[in-house]
Amino acid sequence: MSLRIQEEMDLMEKLEILTDAAKYDVACTSSGVDRNGDGKGMGNSVAKGICHSFASDGRCISLLKILFTNECVFDCKYCLNRCSNDVPRASFTPEEVCRLTMEFYRRNYIEGLFLSSGILKNPDFTMELLYQTLYKLRCEYNFQGYIHVKAIPGADQELIDRTGFLADRMSVNLELPTSEGLKKLAPHKSRKTILAPMRQIQNRMTENKEELAVFRNAPKFVPAGQSTQMIIGATPESDYAIVSVAESLYKKFRLKRVFYSAFVKVNEDASLPALPGGPPLLREHRLYQADWLLRFYGFEADELLSEKRPNFNVFLDPKCDWALGHLEQFPVEINRADYYTLLRVPGIGTKSAQHIVQARRFACLRFEDLKKLGVVLKRALYFITCSGRMMYPTKLDEDYILRNLLSEKERKPLGIDGYRQLTLFDDFNMQAADIIRSECGRVV
Amino acid sequence: MGKVVFQCEDSTDGIFTGIYDAWDSRVGHRNVKLEAGREYDMELFSEYRRVETDGVKAGKVAATIRRKLKADVYEQIYNATLSREKDKAEHIYRTVVMGLYMPDGENIMQNLSNYSVRRVFECSRRAGHEAHQFTGFLRFSELKNKVLFAQIEPENKVLPLIGDHFSDRFPLEDFLIYDKTHQMFLAHAANRPWMLISGEVPDKEMINDISENELRYRKLWKVFHRTIGIEERKNARLQQQLLPLRYRKDMTEWDDKEA
Repeated sequence: MSLRIQEEMDLMEKLEILTDAAKYDVACTSSGVDRNGDGKGMGNSVAKGICHSFASDGRCISLLKILFTNECVFDCKYCLNRCSNDVPRASFTPEEVCRLTMEFYRRNYIEGLFLSSGILKNPDFTMELLYQTLYKLRCEYNFQGYIHVKAIPGADQELIDRTGFLADRMSVNLELPTSEGLKKLAPHKSRKTILAPMRQIQNRMTENKEELAVFRNAPKFVPAGQSTQMIIGATPESDYAIVSVAESLYKKFRLKRVFYSAFVKVNEDASLPALPGGPPLLREHRLYQADWLLRFYGFEADELLSEKRPNFNVFLDPKCDWALGHLEQFPVEINRADYYTLLRVPGIGTKSAQHIVQARRFACLRFEDLKKLGVVLKRALYFITCSGRMMYPTKLDEDYILRNLLSEKERKPLGIDGYRQLTLFDDFNMQAADIIRSECGRVV
Repeated sequence: MGKVVFQCEDSTDGIFTGIYDAWDSRVGHRNVKLEAGREYDMELFSEYRRVETDGVKAGKVAATIRRKLKADVYEQIYNATLSREKDKAEHIYRTVVMGLYMPDGENIMQNLSNYSVRRVFECSRRAGHEAHQFTGFLRFSELKNKVLFAQIEPENKVLPLIGDHFSDRFPLEDFLIYDKTHQMFLAHAANRPWMLISGEVPDKEMINDISENELRYRKLWKVFHRTIGIEERKNARLQQQLLPLRYRKDMTEWDDKEA
């Protein structure tokens, strides 16, 4: 009996240590693959993904996100588990990971498993352990839920290949946007060892598509695609560099997602930046906004930023910022413009653009209708016309629109009623727009 | 002008029977109004008719919607009948009438600038969204007899919408989901199709009789849930926005009793 209790303590402690070590990994998504259960085991998968809970930092908990082990032979300066750090170390056994996953899944706590790992002994040895865990889970426990697994850079190709047939999504972390940054902060990793498995997974997925076209029941290789993540703010790259890297990853490596992770300083090291204001969360947010523009709105990195203006505006989202710089393309007529033109209007997203295109076949749309269709009018009203009319007599002027977009409250634009009450103590701030614009250049 | 108000039962079959009777009454679509359930104010100059739910009539209406307006529209209308909104029956009726008069009725749900269509769309979306939320936020507990039990308090009748999802996911499990708001059960036995049972209350003793392992995994889950959050990024407002308080009372990780 006493032995059992000891064992229990161990699993609890292990889970705490290995969860704590895994929490800086982003990408807790369970999307991208639709699969029904086969009726003999447990689990299925839903393409839109399911969030099962939300952690205290507001991030979704969808998968059981753990490291297999936090023992590591590498010494990456930004990482909590670097070999020179004195932290408690632990390793699961494949059996323990399977049991945890099955029991959590059964109670509907999670959507599947996210398995990453530190490098134990060498990359091959670690990858072999991950493979064994996945094999046990899929074949012995008959688990058909979602599995996201890390491909360990430098591991044997054959091993990565075999693991890919058991997983839904694989990812290789790019870690830092440029190879110089990588050299400085992660001396054991190189751009080459990271990109090689990424390319290999991509090639294998393409081959698998052809196999599936011929043999419908051929096993699927990484059906939910591959993703990667970058740490933001640990090295001095500009937003432009980061967005360009993301764009080329989407285009050249056919990645499903690129994740951005605001750098959290967990180690003291001379080569790491001091972040007195905490992790650069706003910057991360702007990068995600831009990422969506790249993937769903038909924007290119070069449209959003340039060498001359390498960082996003802190005050405005990237789309508003782009629209203000391209006023010659506005106003857009809601009842005539095509889908992709509508998508470029601030305040109109993919859903509302689709609704507009559908609904205008039945009736001429008015501003009241737009609000109901999900358009954010307080942003869109400066850029659109309905049947040739603006919503209010607003000016198509950069400073004017900027000033109004920045005033937070939802209300009519300034000066629309023709009058404005003067008060003695308010600063009317006629030059404010200029001051703000000159501060906008640099993101904190 | 007074209208003829058809009062139907607040269920999918009830509303569909209401549509049948209202159309069949021949008083004209403009002079007809539908109410599902009981919580309405009476109107002085209206005539009230009670609709007796009739499976055959409801089946005819469902079949007509499926045949003429196609499966996608049927699904949205079906979801809307599960909604908690009071005006759902009236707007479903208007939408169906309009769709059946159109040459391309299967596109009716795209006419979002029409008020009734938009209301049906909204009702359906809210019910569907809540069902989706519960596929994630629902928590099973293992009872002594190995049955998995979950309790939820949804605003809309989501049970029929999550039945397929959970039986596909756990084909070999016996599970029970109890909808406290509407006092309905979803029951699933291993390798059998799921079914709905309404009007019963769970046995308190049975549901508190949890298995030996249950407490252990609850504890492990709480440890995981606490540890996975990054202290430097703490954001309770965002957490509450994404996981509103009303879901939390039946979720393991928010239950402080055994912590």
